[in-house]
Amino acid sequence: MRISKDEVIYTAKLAKLCLTDEEAEKLAGELDAILADMGAMETIDMEDAGNDTEAGMPRGVIRPDENVVFGDRDKLFVNTKSMRGTFIQVPKVIE
Amino acid sequence: MSFETIIGLEIHAELNTKSKIFCGCSTEFASEPNANTCPVCLAYPGTLPVLNERVVDLAVKAGLALNCKINHVSKFDRKNYFYPDLPKAYQISQFDLPICTDGAVEFECAGRHVRVRINRIHIEEDAGKLVHMEDEPYTLVDYNRAGIPLIEIVTEPDMRSPLEAVTFLRILKSILEYGEISDCRMEQGSLRCDANISIRPVGQKEFNTKVELKNINSFRELQKALEKEEKRQVELYRFDEGHKIVQETRRWDSAKGRTISMRTKEEAQDYRYFPDSDLVPVVIDEPAVAEIKNSLPELPMEKYRRFTEEYKLSADDADILTGDRYLSEFFEDTVREGAAPKAAANWVLGDMLRMLNESGIPSREIPVEPIRLCRLISMVEAGKISNTAGKEVFKEMFTSGGTPEEIVEKKGLAQISSEDALLEMVKKVIEENPKSVSDYRNGKTKAMGYLVGQVMKASRGRANPAMVNELLMKELG
Amino acid sequence: MSSDFISAGRISRGVAGKSFSAVEITESHISKIKANDEKIGAFLTLCEEDALAQARAIDKKISEGRPVGKLAGVPVAIKDNICTDGIRTTCASKMLEDFIPPYNATVVEKLLEEDAVIIGKTNMDEFAMGSSTETSAFRITRNPHDASRVPGGSSGGSAAAVAAGMVPVSLGTDTGGSIRQPAAFCGVVGMKPTYGTVSRYGLIGLASSMDQIGPLTVSVEDCALVLEVIQGYDKKDSTSCCGEYDKDYLSGSTEGIRGMKICIPEDFFTESLDEETAFAINESIRRFEHLGAEIEKVSLSIDHSDILSAYNVLVCAEASSNLGRYDGICYGYRAKEYENTDELIEKSRSEAFGDEVKREIILGTYFLSSSNYDRYYSRAVKYRTALKRRFAEIFSRYDLILGPTAPVLPFRIGEWVNDPVKMNQMDMYTAPANLAGLPALSVPCGTSRAGLPIGLQLIGPHHGERAILQAAYAFEQDMHKEVI
Repeated sequence: MRISKDEVIYTAKLAKLCLTDEEAEKLAGELDAILADMGAMETIDMEDAGNDTEAGMPRGVIRPDENVVFGDRDKLFVNTKSMRGTFIQVPKVIE
Repeated sequence: MSFETIIGLEIHAELNTKSKIFCGCSTEFASEPNANTCPVCLAYPGTLPVLNERVVDLAVKAGLALNCKINHVSKFDRKNYFYPDLPKAYQISQFDLPICTDGAVEFECAGRHVRVRINRIHIEEDAGKLVHMEDEPYTLVDYNRAGIPLIEIVTEPDMRSPLEAVTFLRILKSILEYGEISDCRMEQGSLRCDANISIRPVGQKEFNTKVELKNINSFRELQKALEKEEKRQVELYRFDEGHKIVQETRRWDSAKGRTISMRTKEEAQDYRYFPDSDLVPVVIDEPAVAEIKNSLPELPMEKYRRFTEEYKLSADDADILTGDRYLSEFFEDTVREGAAPKAAANWVLGDMLRMLNESGIPSREIPVEPIRLCRLISMVEAGKISNTAGKEVFKEMFTSGGTPEEIVEKKGLAQISSEDALLEMVKKVIEENPKSVSDYRNGKTKAMGYLVGQVMKASRGRANPAMVNELLMKELG
Repeated sequence: MSSDFISAGRISRGVAGKSFSAVEITESHISKIKANDEKIGAFLTLCEEDALAQARAIDKKISEGRPVGKLAGVPVAIKDNICTDGIRTTCASKMLEDFIPPYNATVVEKLLEEDAVIIGKTNMDEFAMGSSTETSAFRITRNPHDASRVPGGSSGGSAAAVAAGMVPVSLGTDTGGSIRQPAAFCGVVGMKPTYGTVSRYGLIGLASSMDQIGPLTVSVEDCALVLEVIQGYDKKDSTSCCGEYDKDYLSGSTEGIRGMKICIPEDFFTESLDEETAFAINESIRRFEHLGAEIEKVSLSIDHSDILSAYNVLVCAEASSNLGRYDGICYGYRAKEYENTDELIEKSRSEAFGDEVKREIILGTYFLSSSNYDRYYSRAVKYRTALKRRFAEIFSRYDLILGPTAPVLPFRIGEWVNDPVKMNQMDMYTAPANLAGLPALSVPCGTSRAGLPIGLQLIGPHHGERAILQAAYAFEQDMHKEVI
């Protein structure tokens, strides 16, 4: 087995997803199958593949330090479920 | 057994830009929450970051000022974690290819030559601000700070006492201010410092478990927090309870004057760093680095040397002045207006510094014009007003403004140098103090001092002391 | 059905030349959508009023004698992961069910500048994760050639809308084949341009290093026309390519295919390839030869399971991070009940994401976590680098690579939905172009005995759009000649 149910639950937690026991069980089976299918990767010969950072990346898109004000302020928060004044309101965050 | 303290710092400095790191929103302080936001810094679906070129320039400038190696290719990575102040659920930062590496800062501290190596400087974005409501079960989110450009400067564990750490931070702050890289307003959070501290027996090679201290926002707090933690750890080792020191992050509570554990290493997040393919690698060539190098102003160390040589200031005076960019600039402007360097230094380091400390006004906002201080100095030197009166004028200039001439006039502080007026006072004092007069005539020269004092008192400090002395001698023959 | 088709080129010429009005064109397409989409399910949002208002504005321009754009009056459908200002953009997810973008994607701005008419938003796999449009949270899209079959995916709605004659042009997005495979399944032309050719600003990201927007059209000519409009350097997208762009891909196309050196990768013709597809592709190869191409069979020495593994690791890893922003705080679905913010985030995500999305996020998180990073992510990145180099070698000797687009014919709805491993195979011929950032196009090359469309894929070198489009155009013209 490549991935256990506990690993699935732990990973889901990192991704802020909660799974029922049943879901975790089912997912563990599916992910195990996917990982098994990918097993081939372990045999890929990766010697001297070079650095991707350098390869074929476009260069130089950068912007000057200028202020651009987003014009339509009203539209910015139409999707927000709860506002207080111009603050976004969420339940208390415990530090 | 004697112990040695090991300290390393991680400093976040907000870069001096007009716009945010990946969008055109303003970096100016806005009183209205979320006023400086747009789809990009709110992480709206589909938006993409585009790097602000000045951020790169300033980071390189910082690297050069701290004697770092500039990496011609660096890249951005995503640091993934969920928190309501982080709209994308990842912070764009630099992980394994930072823009600057391997720098160093050297200084003297309490008789030790200290060399603090800079491990790295990397560019990253700031998060938003959370406001926790007092009596309600809510937190309010303001993304004005989300996307403000920062550099994080990471030192090697090269400091051996809280004082060395504070001294290093002061020097670093002055370098960043000199280079106009950051405003370094600690009180507003544009310069923040986390400290790693561990203790080991003198002679031991390897490091013991370190503790990270967060939430420190002034030099004084840094010193206090480190001293407190140093003491805590030393005591644990003394009582053979060193195992109780665990790798953890502790939050400095300045009100309570103690640190509180936030999280241990075991609870540490898996940030899943990986390259951000929405951005391309930052490529900076040698000519660009050279150009930035040329734009670097005189840094504190050089200025210190120049102040001691050119103005013949004492080491201490030059040290304090050059440690603060604004103070040093004010001093030099005053000298440029014509003041004698020694006198200008005395005023700046004496009355000026005291007034700044008392008022809490930061040195970048000195409320006095250099030219006015220069005129005040020349009034004192020329004897137009007394030294004491000068101090009073300065205080007035500092607190309420105005020119020195206006203040002297308004307060009637001008020195009395008219011979007629002084002679009248002298005669009156001789008349009223026959005992001292006869003492003087009998050879008790000390009595002269008393008589001069009486004339000064009668003139409420305004009489020209040299002339008073002269007139008294003449009258008493 | 083919009599219903009217190309984008004909529409814009007709509208500009006052043969018909933009409003007439818009109305006729809207009524076609209303009549057919109940059955097909290509659209998630129809912008009837906005589209008519746009059409009226174009007609007004023309009546005032003002110049109009290259796509004057052409109705365009937009995949629902491309942001449209003020128009709901859902990614076919419950997460963004009521999401109204406050801005237009750059491609949308470019279409509007050329007077195209945005007619609606099309269905897709949720967050573009899938190859059948079955993971949409809202509806099933059916293949216009056989309603019991899928249209492919993830741009299934965009492909079906063009195939059913509801629009002449749609935009799709392609991360591993999501334009080309549905184009092949639905019998239309679909193109993924070179990475960086079309701005990604406003494209709701799946895998930032591979996502690319491209056209789905009735003909190669329209494909070139639309690409000419939507391509170009964009200062809002750091990965956008600067430099000169070809403004007329088909100019001087009389030469066609003659003299082109075309590589047929033997690796693409394995037993996993559907027989009827293999037959149609082999027929097409002969046609290319007949048209004067120099054909050479070569082994690329690439292993499809390695390609798919590397592709999967990168897509899942990037997606897991790109989809972190859906936390219910600033926009998107928010759970109804929660005790604190942590719970708000967790419940919102768990309730609003579908199974496939959750699966990919968890996989991606797994690949990136510190204990697995080197084994999966680093390996995949290195593999991609090696693959890029391999393609560079091939393209130093050949103008194009030719092969099948999809390994299978359109399958039945529900047939594969529970088999993620099998579904992943769908990308085996298309994903290499995404991994290497290469341009690639799917053009119809025949049908199966049951009348299901088959697509042929042409892959070119970086910025090789011209060669691809010219070859595809010559091939398409030759195919039509025979039909007539």
